Amino acid sequence: MSEQPDIVIDVQDLVKTYDEGRTRALDGANFQVRRGEFVSITGPSGCGKSTLLHAIAALERPDSGTIRVNGEEITAKRDLSSYRAQGIGLIFQLHNLLPNLTASENVQVPMYETKRSTGARRERAEELLRLVGLGDKVKKRPTQLSGGERQRVAIARALANDPPIILADEPTGSLDSKASQQALDLLRDVQRGQAVTLVLVSHDSRIAAAADRTVYMLDGKIDAESTDRSPEVETDAAASRSSPVV
Amino acid sequence: MTFILFILSNLLRQKIRTGLTVLGISIGITTVVALGIFVNSAKAATEELILAGGADFTVAEAGVADMTFSSLTTEDLALLETYDEIEHVSGVELAISKVGANAYFFQIGIDAGDLPFFDAPLVEGRLFGADATDEIMIGDRAADQLDAGIGGTVEIRDIPFTVVGIYDTGTTSLDAGAILPLAAVQEYDSREGLVTLAYVTVRDGTDIDALTDRIKAENEGLATLAGIDDVGAVDQGIEILDAVNLGITILAVFIGGIAVMNTMAMAVFERTREFGILRALGWRTRRILQMVLGESLLLCLFAAVFGSILAVILTQLIVLFPTVSAFITPQYTLDVFLRGLAVGIGVALLGAIYPAFRAARLSPAQAIRYE
Ligand SMILES: Nc1ncnc2c1ncn2[C@@H]1O[C@H](COP(=O)(O)OP(=O)(O)O)[C@@H](O)[C@H]1O
Ligand SMILES: [Mg+2]
Repeated sequence: MSEQPDIVIDVQDLVKTYDEGRTRALDGANFQVRRGEFVSITGPSGCGKSTLLHAIAALERPDSGTIRVNGEEITAKRDLSSYRAQGIGLIFQLHNLLPNLTASENVQVPMYETKRSTGARRERAEELLRLVGLGDKVKKRPTQLSGGERQRVAIARALANDPPIILADEPTGSLDSKASQQALDLLRDVQRGQAVTLVLVSHDSRIAAAADRTVYMLDGKIDAESTDRSPEVETDAAASRSSPVV
Repeated sequence: MTFILFILSNLLRQKIRTGLTVLGISIGITTVVALGIFVNSAKAATEELILAGGADFTVAEAGVADMTFSSLTTEDLALLETYDEIEHVSGVELAISKVGANAYFFQIGIDAGDLPFFDAPLVEGRLFGADATDEIMIGDRAADQLDAGIGGTVEIRDIPFTVVGIYDTGTTSLDAGAILPLAAVQEYDSREGLVTLAYVTVRDGTDIDALTDRIKAENEGLATLAGIDDVGAVDQGIEILDAVNLGITILAVFIGGIAVMNTMAMAVFERTREFGILRALGWRTRRILQMVLGESLLLCLFAAVFGSILAVILTQLIVLFPTVSAFITPQYTLDVFLRGLAVGIGVALLGAIYPAFRAARLSPAQAIRYE
């Protein structure tokens, strides 16, 4: 499957243990994502979803197995920082923004590692905040924003360097149902409009259901059946990609 | 937002902690700078004294603990006069005693015959007479402090002297003191036939270094003083001051360093999750290091500026005491402020290196999971 050109994320036999092997957070996980796809990973708490996402984001080194992103083995990469800054956009659940920075400044954080000038950083941040519907809140600090607004800022920040992939770990975890739905809609709009690949992790199967395809995880493994179901859904996703909404 | 403003905004998150740390470091820097100002001022005052009256160099007894303990005999002075390069030798007796409010009233006893070779421009009155024993010339600052004018009386060790002249040399201790007949000082000091120093003027074109080297080589008991660097030979005071200054500086760096380490370690610890997020968003370890070191440097730079200002204020307050202003005029030279700045930078680096490396070495995934 890894030979197929439209596979952007290809995880093979990934193992990650903690506590000197006593905890097997990932126990031979296999997982593929196609270009432009919106995939959700769901499963009970502690089944290894975050660990998998962190491994794909190169935040954590697996014990064994391979992770290829756009055909490149990321554990072999020397410059993980530039991969994290440019290759992916990350969204987390909680306390995600720096409290002393305004919305605009928060969105600029990933841009410090690029060659953009101060002015260009600010312009780009404001453009992204308008995209997520916060054009009037650029100077607000996190404490002056609602939970839903904060998560929109985090989404804008994930887009800062135009990454081809967005990884979201429980992005609606601390939001009420209305704000959750809005955040989800925004993520989907972004995925279609910016033609990015979106991997969303949620223990809540209703949230996960918003994706083109959902995979199930249990005890550090991807449920093989759920992955097999994917091809039918994939065609729909490919079709919707051609009609951007944002 | 520029990176430096980002660093500043991190410091402003904990205003009280930042403020207290700045204050603490400032006090250390104030100590270092103020002490530096005094050491330099004391050196300048000593240097002025060895070259007082326009002397090319001064000769004193070698190996004494304090310049004022030096004793030269009439034979020593005669011996100096045998050098061809030497134009004139003035033997002077130095004394310090309480006069008026000034506990360190400085007295130079000099022979009337040597006065033409001792440059002390009169602003009022005349030189004391050739045979006078009870006449005195006082400096303009002494005139102010004692509120004495021409014809007035100044008592030194209960002996009354009549003021006949007021001079202004520009040398602090001299201008706050007096010049009077050598015999009078020798008498109340009970040092007949002895002088403290010999002020030497040389003929035009003389190589002073070569001459002083020769004098020292040919006369084991004599020390020559042509500048502040020579003072160590006859005065341990300056050397002690230098040593104390160095000791306090090192102490300030260590105490300050520990204070900064504590502050920065706390700042790093409580922001563990944020460092994880920054790393996850693609920040390099180098940038994390720069951020933590930058916070520490900025903190200490504030302290250096604040501490230096405090030091100047403190110095100005201290010289309000006549006892201090009698022999010191504050010397605000660049080197003491650079020393303060160096202490600030030293403290910043010493205090931040460990927290900065800890922050940079955090595993991003662990840091993100950290609550
Ligand atoms: N740093 C760690 N040290 C020890 N155990 C960990 C660590 N991170 C995760 N784990 C364990 O790994 C397993 C998977 O965790 P995680 O990936 O966070 O699950 P999920 O996101 O699905 O809830 C859990 O048992 C968790 O306790
Ligand atoms: Mg999780």
